[in-house]
Amino acid sequence: MLIRAIAFLCLTLCLNLLGATPATAQAVDQAKVDEATQLWQTSAHALSEINCSSCHQAAETKEFVSQPGVESCQTCHQQDVDTFLLGKHGIRLLEGATPLTPAMARLPMQAAALDNPMNCNSCHDVHSVNTVQAAVDSCLSCHNDTHSLNYQTSRHAELFAADSNLPRPSATAVSCATCHLPRHETGTGDNIFTQVNHNNTYTLLPRDRMVKDVCLNCHGAEYSYNSIFDDDLVEANFDAPPTLALETFELARAFEARRTDQGTE
Amino acid sequence: MASRGQAAKWRAVLNLRTAIIIVCIALMGWFAAAFALDNKEVFLPGETSVGHYLFEASCSSCHEGFKPVSNENCNRCHQAELAEDKHGASKFRDPRWAGELAKIEALTCTTCHNEHVHMFGRGVHLQPDLCMACHEGIIQGDLQSHDGFATDGCWTAGCHNYHDHSSISTGFLIENLDQPPMLPVQQLPDRTILNQVETAPSPDLSREFLGGGA
Repeated sequence: MLIRAIAFLCLTLCLNLLGATPATAQAVDQAKVDEATQLWQTSAHALSEINCSSCHQAAETKEFVSQPGVESCQTCHQQDVDTFLLGKHGIRLLEGATPLTPAMARLPMQAAALDNPMNCNSCHDVHSVNTVQAAVDSCLSCHNDTHSLNYQTSRHAELFAADSNLPRPSATAVSCATCHLPRHETGTGDNIFTQVNHNNTYTLLPRDRMVKDVCLNCHGAEYSYNSIFDDDLVEANFDAPPTLALETFELARAFEARRTDQGTE
Repeated sequence: MASRGQAAKWRAVLNLRTAIIIVCIALMGWFAAAFALDNKEVFLPGETSVGHYLFEASCSSCHEGFKPVSNENCNRCHQAELAEDKHGASKFRDPRWAGELAKIEALTCTTCHNEHVHMFGRGVHLQPDLCMACHEGIIQGDLQSHDGFATDGCWTAGCHNYHDHSSISTGFLIENLDQPPMLPVQQLPDRTILNQVETAPSPDLSREFLGGGA
């Protein structure tokens, strides 16, 4: 009786340990190929002479690759992939685990997207190279928390809607990506270019990192800090001016007043 | 009567011993299976922090055998966060501050950032008054403006950033006081891509897609 109970226990425990999901194969017909080809023809990829074989053929063996992975993108987009792999979106791939799926998240996610594996293609339509889609719609295809859902009615979204011409958001459009995958300039002299930090976790905490990297591009420091440290306002996706008045600014103001008083005496 | 009682006692001991052995074997088998089936969550000593739980089954991401987690390991991923570290090695090379390391081992990441234990925010497991190990004077008269402040408010109130204080330091705040909500020039970096050709080349694969493949 005891032995049978232990055997049963062992069996259930071992069964608990099994639980990998098999990869699904994707059927491709001529219509799909035509659609992808059409999207590609006007894309930055096509106009930079990145052809089908650049991604769909193994460089050495010339073997056909139906679904190129992160490594394929990495051959050209090194910095983007490197930073992607450091954020929550990519860390599982960096550590040799299966790709992230929304089901693993602690934040609320869209039920329909729970099993979608995370790779470059999850957010980017690599054929159209349309980053307008990657900047908002892709995020909202998975993220289902209050902050995300409130974006659509925010002032930032109005700016995005007013100027989100294809193929990529302009410098005045404020999208999810503007704050969570921010652009930054790098290089010197004539060789200044813009990169996107694909580490989606980087600007989240501490909150002053978001202020430094993102908010201060457009907003004053007090306005930024009083907004970012107001949990309700974050939740509401900044739909109103801040009502918080962080004491730290009063201290700084008093300090400065004392200093200038001493200077004038 | 007595011998029967003794036999029963022996049987009980034997049974207990067998049961213990079987349980031990079962546990060992379970751990071995956990390893073999790459399902290492069973070894987790406590809840993993929100920043790391997604790869918590990948022990070797942070642990080299049973050695303590090293700074190098943390830096594999967190280099960017520490690009401007106010409490970095250069701070404590200064003889004025070198002695402070005796109070708190500030140059070891895990001193403040342990894992699989309770966190007080920002991945810090020490009590939020950790700054007091060195900066207690600030709230006890050294800095008039901070007299009587709570011991645990330095970072939890959003005023100070232990590592990178470039955009939250007193100097920075004073420089940026009384700015309007919207800056006169609102400029996010623009991203332009120069096309190399006017028209797309013809696609160099087509039939291959219909056949499936890897």
